Amino acid sequence: MNILRSQAFSVLRRPLCRRLATTRPFVPPVQAQLVFHDTLFAPGAKELDDNTVDALEAETNEREFEDDDFDANNFQDKAHPDSPNFYTGRSSYYDNIVELQNAISRTRGTLQRLHLLPLPEFAWKCLKPMPTVWKTPEEMTTDFETAMTISRYRKVTALLNELNEYLRIATTAGYADVADRIGSIISIFESGKKEAFLARGVRKPVQLDQYGRSYTFGKRKTSAARVWMIPVKPLSHESGSDVNVEEAFGLSDKPRRPPVNVTVSTILINNLPIAEYFPQPVDRERIVRPLKIAGVLAHGIAKGIFAHEPETGAILKRAKLLRRDPRMVERKKTGLAKARKRYTWVKR
Amino acid sequence: MHSLRPRLSNPVRFSFKFCKNCTRQLSQQAQGPLETENDWTDFQQTRTSLKTLMDAMSQYGSTQTSQWSLRDSLHRPTKDATLSALLASGAHFGHASSRMNPNFLPYAYGTRAGITLIDLDHTLPLLRRAAKVVRAVAANDGQIVFIGTRADIRPVVQKAAQRLGTQGFHVGDRWLPGTLTNKWQMFGHETVRSKRIVPDLVILLNPIQNMNAIQECALSNVPTIAIVDSNVDPRIVMYPIPANDESPRTAEIIAGVLSIAGREGIAIREAETQRMRMAVDSAWEDFNKMQVMQDARQPQRSDAEAFDY
Repeated sequence: MNILRSQAFSVLRRPLCRRLATTRPFVPPVQAQLVFHDTLFAPGAKELDDNTVDALEAETNEREFEDDDFDANNFQDKAHPDSPNFYTGRSSYYDNIVELQNAISRTRGTLQRLHLLPLPEFAWKCLKPMPTVWKTPEEMTTDFETAMTISRYRKVTALLNELNEYLRIATTAGYADVADRIGSIISIFESGKKEAFLARGVRKPVQLDQYGRSYTFGKRKTSAARVWMIPVKPLSHESGSDVNVEEAFGLSDKPRRPPVNVTVSTILINNLPIAEYFPQPVDRERIVRPLKIAGVLAHGIAKGIFAHEPETGAILKRAKLLRRDPRMVERKKTGLAKARKRYTWVKR
Repeated sequence: MHSLRPRLSNPVRFSFKFCKNCTRQLSQQAQGPLETENDWTDFQQTRTSLKTLMDAMSQYGSTQTSQWSLRDSLHRPTKDATLSALLASGAHFGHASSRMNPNFLPYAYGTRAGITLIDLDHTLPLLRRAAKVVRAVAANDGQIVFIGTRADIRPVVQKAAQRLGTQGFHVGDRWLPGTLTNKWQMFGHETVRSKRIVPDLVILLNPIQNMNAIQECALSNVPTIAIVDSNVDPRIVMYPIPANDESPRTAEIIAGVLSIAGREGIAIREAETQRMRMAVDSAWEDFNKMQVMQDARQPQRSDAEAFDY
């Protein structure tokens, strides 16, 4: 087959070259030839129809010319890349880092001029606490368009924490404009779930209903207890009755021992206090033992007491009664008799 | 920065003691806790008055007559490096003589204390030559990349790139291999087609840690300038500057000189563009004046009369 007369070569003379010439400089025919399909010039190759030729042309035009000799993609007409960090390959991450560093240095300068930096030790303790929650590394990955590894995340959060410290100083000292400027930068990096995260572990205050009753919940291991507590009115003498019972019965002559002040927690046996009737602590212990209630109820009752009398909070906390005991029954493991107990070790 | 103060006369010394006591008291929690905003304002006012007093008293110090002053070589570098400045920054300290690259011999001054000393008489002209290259590239709208991948020279390359505006770039962390040789995959087809990717000049402040970058520049035909130390073959880059690569002050001086040369090149280009624009504008003005004069001499004929076919 005469190559010069074949349809394949006619494509060389056809718009393929012209198309290249308009978008790129002159392509030597040798290089254009190399683009073609391998089987084109094989012996016994069929003549090409228009469809195949068009497909080959499209393929050639799509293919990038990675040759550096005439790098048409480096013409002076093209624009410079936008970011000065372009050649790091992570321009948006480094741009953000540079922006944060600039914000920090500007704010530091402002606070130094206002004589709020460097702050002495006692002033640091007087600052308002401003706990913040930053975005997770996954959320920051979408913002920065780079994979947020631990080291990168730490770098960013270190800068953000420094900005947050300056925000605390500005807010506490009453400079609202400076605080707003810092706040606008920080809010970009704050997690949306900040309130939820900071409210974790904060107990909701127990509301007393219309009758002053509290409803609290106590838990220990897998048990649960619901506790309702109602305040009781203290016993008071009926007003208007000046009748002395002892005089009415004619018992005022007899010598009287001092009357016992009966409170809610007093135990009387035959009208005598328990300490008088049972001088031995052993006996007293036996009597009081059933009243030593299970931990579940203790938890619920302690919370109810705290709801009615918040002043007892410190005492209850010191006694560790407001704490839900986190100990749960540990599961049995395979190869062990119980959770920790091992079977008897046999030498052979 | 206040200059060193020698002994003062008695009344002024008393004031300084008072100042010192005040500052000591402030730092020793003599003040109570700052609760309200008024407390903070008072705290600020105390400090302001102290500073005013200190500044007022500073003028009673002695005046130093020496010309040398400690300058911030990062933020305000000099246009030309002097031998004394390079010496002061420790640019002449090379690495151990046992590690000296034999191709570095022309730039070595000698050996002392087991290290190779670099001949700064070679450094200065080579630095000036490199500055000329940077100025010319910048004047022709070239892209210049500063590479300094250590933590202490990261701000140096950042500032140097800032001085070149849109033509300056920097790499402060790792240079990703394939930035130039694998640009299609790295930056994507759209970016490579629309923007200039291959830079016109690359300046390296620590070449040993960036051999990948040097190799890629060689493959992409990009001219390179680098600070070569005594353990490096100076032929790896086109324009070597023999100096200490471990000293951040040396890097500040050299990067400062090169970036200021680049800024000058951009200014030259801007001035040239301005001059050409003004020349074109004045040429147009002259042309328009001529047209007006011609029209005044010959009255305007209608188009029908203008062409007689």
